[in-house]
Amino acid sequence: MLAVKDLSVTYQNNKVLNGFNLNLEQGDIFALLGDSGSGKSSALRFIAGLDNADNGRVELDGRQLSVSGKHQITPELREVGMVFQDYALFPHMNVEKNITFGISNQPKSEQQARVKELLSLIGLKGIEKKYPHQLSGGEQQRVALARALAPSPKLLLLDEPFSSLDKNHRNQLVSQVRSILKKAQVTSILVTHDEDEANALADKVGTIQNKQLTIK
Amino acid sequence: MEKNCFKSKIWISFLALLVAMPIFVVALSWLFPEHELWAHFSQTLLPSLIGSTAILLVGVGVGVTLLGTILAYLVVMVEFPGRQWLEWALFLPFAIPAYVLAFVYLGVFDYSGYAQVWMREVLGLPGFDIRAGSWAIILTFVLVFYPYVYMMARASFKRQKINMIEAGKLLGASPLRVFFKISLPLARPAAAAGLLVTLMETLADFGVVSLFNYDTFTTAIYSAWGDFRSIEVAAQLASLLVLVAFFLIYFEKKARGQAKYYSADVSNKKPYHATGVVGWLIALFVFGVFMLSFAMPMLQLVIWGWESVGEEWSAKYIDLIASTSTLTIAAALITVGIATVLALPGHCKQDSLWLKGVIRLATLGYALPGSVMAVGLLYGINQISAINMYFGGESINHIIFGSIALLLFAYVSRFMAIAYSSIEASAQQIKPVFTQSAQLLGASRLRLIWQVYLPMMTPGILAGGLLVAVDVMKELPATYLLRPFGWDTLAIQVYELSAEGLYERAAVPALIMVVFGSILMLIFQGLDKKSSKTS
Repeated sequence: MLAVKDLSVTYQNNKVLNGFNLNLEQGDIFALLGDSGSGKSSALRFIAGLDNADNGRVELDGRQLSVSGKHQITPELREVGMVFQDYALFPHMNVEKNITFGISNQPKSEQQARVKELLSLIGLKGIEKKYPHQLSGGEQQRVALARALAPSPKLLLLDEPFSSLDKNHRNQLVSQVRSILKKAQVTSILVTHDEDEANALADKVGTIQNKQLTIK
Repeated sequence: MEKNCFKSKIWISFLALLVAMPIFVVALSWLFPEHELWAHFSQTLLPSLIGSTAILLVGVGVGVTLLGTILAYLVVMVEFPGRQWLEWALFLPFAIPAYVLAFVYLGVFDYSGYAQVWMREVLGLPGFDIRAGSWAIILTFVLVFYPYVYMMARASFKRQKINMIEAGKLLGASPLRVFFKISLPLARPAAAAGLLVTLMETLADFGVVSLFNYDTFTTAIYSAWGDFRSIEVAAQLASLLVLVAFFLIYFEKKARGQAKYYSADVSNKKPYHATGVVGWLIALFVFGVFMLSFAMPMLQLVIWGWESVGEEWSAKYIDLIASTSTLTIAAALITVGIATVLALPGHCKQDSLWLKGVIRLATLGYALPGSVMAVGLLYGINQISAINMYFGGESINHIIFGSIALLLFAYVSRFMAIAYSSIEASAQQIKPVFTQSAQLLGASRLRLIWQVYLPMMTPGILAGGLLVAVDVMKELPATYLLRPFGWDTLAIQVYELSAEGLYERAAVPALIMVVFGSILMLIFQGLDKKSSKTS
């Protein structure tokens, strides 16, 4: 379903990835584990189409997204969703506006139905009119997840989404997010430096060793 | 604590009200209405003046907002050929006073200017009157004042999280949608602040409107004072301008809203890369603005200056430069000194509406044309003399009129807002925890100010001082009315020559001024870069 082949990335004059390969099946939840600077975020950003790479190919659902480190399809058209480390919610829009941002081409009634559906999926009904700064960290994170899921992306990328939450809260949220992803049946990649988190959330866990991916 | 607050309240109130004095005087003028003159003004001049002022404000406002915001967005968010040097080159028009750009454009494009001569003689086209209508003067103002919006919007775009734009992209939004839905709404408060400054500057302008023979509210104030010798009516008209300023400030506050949207991480990564034809078109557009607002006028000045320097240069320029620098340095030092006292953080200020109010008053002088400032001061001194004489004293007019002190007073009142907002911005970065930890370590208020506040406010103090210096050097109307005998400045020389149509010779003092201004702006840029690195 997703195939990343022969990815090489140079980060700050350092070759961090060389010959990185990854294959995922529909509905897989995969965790990419590594220390900071190991190139895991670079891999994620290349798959999203945000940064170029020295070399590498991305194929999603039969579509060639990137070839030889260059993007054939821009991030806008890739049908890839992403949850950022700091969530990157639009501070001037309420929850509803944030979630519908990616589905603005649909009829209003469908948008509203989708918001309802997603809010019940993430267990936060009735917060449509609240602004991001009125929400707790965990709530913001789940809204960011709902926003990314709204256009039904083929692939969801999660870049250290739990790192700014406190430890007690985190364990509970990790299992919650896992059940949300399973219900949505979306193929996902989580990038993290926390091994417990990776094991609790993912079906498969991989680490970066010698600039390549090793599946545990 | 109570006693402390009392003392600082007295101090701050005294300084702030002193700075705000010309505004009070202007307001007090309503106590002495002159009905006949008012009737004359309101029937003949006022309606058309309000109309032409409104057209000017709307035209300039729309122009600078569009140009400033688009330029700022392009240099911050898009990578295109030449972006790096254009990003700072777009600040350079700050160094050219509005009336200098106005006389250069007039010299080139008015009836006897070579552009029109060429059009008529080579192309056989009919000539046009550049002073007719308001498009030419609006364009001139836009080219001079867009950097205010550019500067504010650029800083705001820079503070926007790049993640947010990437999130927008991954949700399928086109660059235009990202601009209109995400970047622009977040930058709106900053752009509004730049717009506010522009509108105030336009309202206060004297040089450009008089060179273009364009009648505005300021013209009416002049006419009341110059033609009818009524300082009261001049002051009453001026008070209406103050009302407009209040109005503008209120709207800017509203536009600013409540939420804070910014992140601290300043990233140099550009979310968009414009390559190929699009990239070059963007570069051409940005470069074109730079050419029109700075490079071509400068080139013209240099050519004229070169041609006429032999005729124009004389020993009197040494005096002009000396008096300009003396006034500039003195005014900058005093303004920054008072602004620093007003901006120092303190618990008294935090919960005192009164102090916030008087400080606001002290910064309102920015909305007053320099001429009104001058009229207000002269009027005030005159009244004090009258009171003094009533009680058997002597007139103080002869001591104060035509003294440097009065001129400096006008500068300080007029430019307090610039120094204050710059210093206040750096004071706001002093978080309460710094104060609290210093106090817990036993620091006295004096030590707190000396070792914590002032060092942290230094970038703002330096930047504020430089900006005030640039503005004082360019200042025309107040200097024109208040300068003591023998204290002609470069600005006066430029104005007097260009008002007589001697554009070529006016280029000489203008160039000297622009060179000094550019040096000050370059230092400011250096400070800006340094402080954005450390914060």
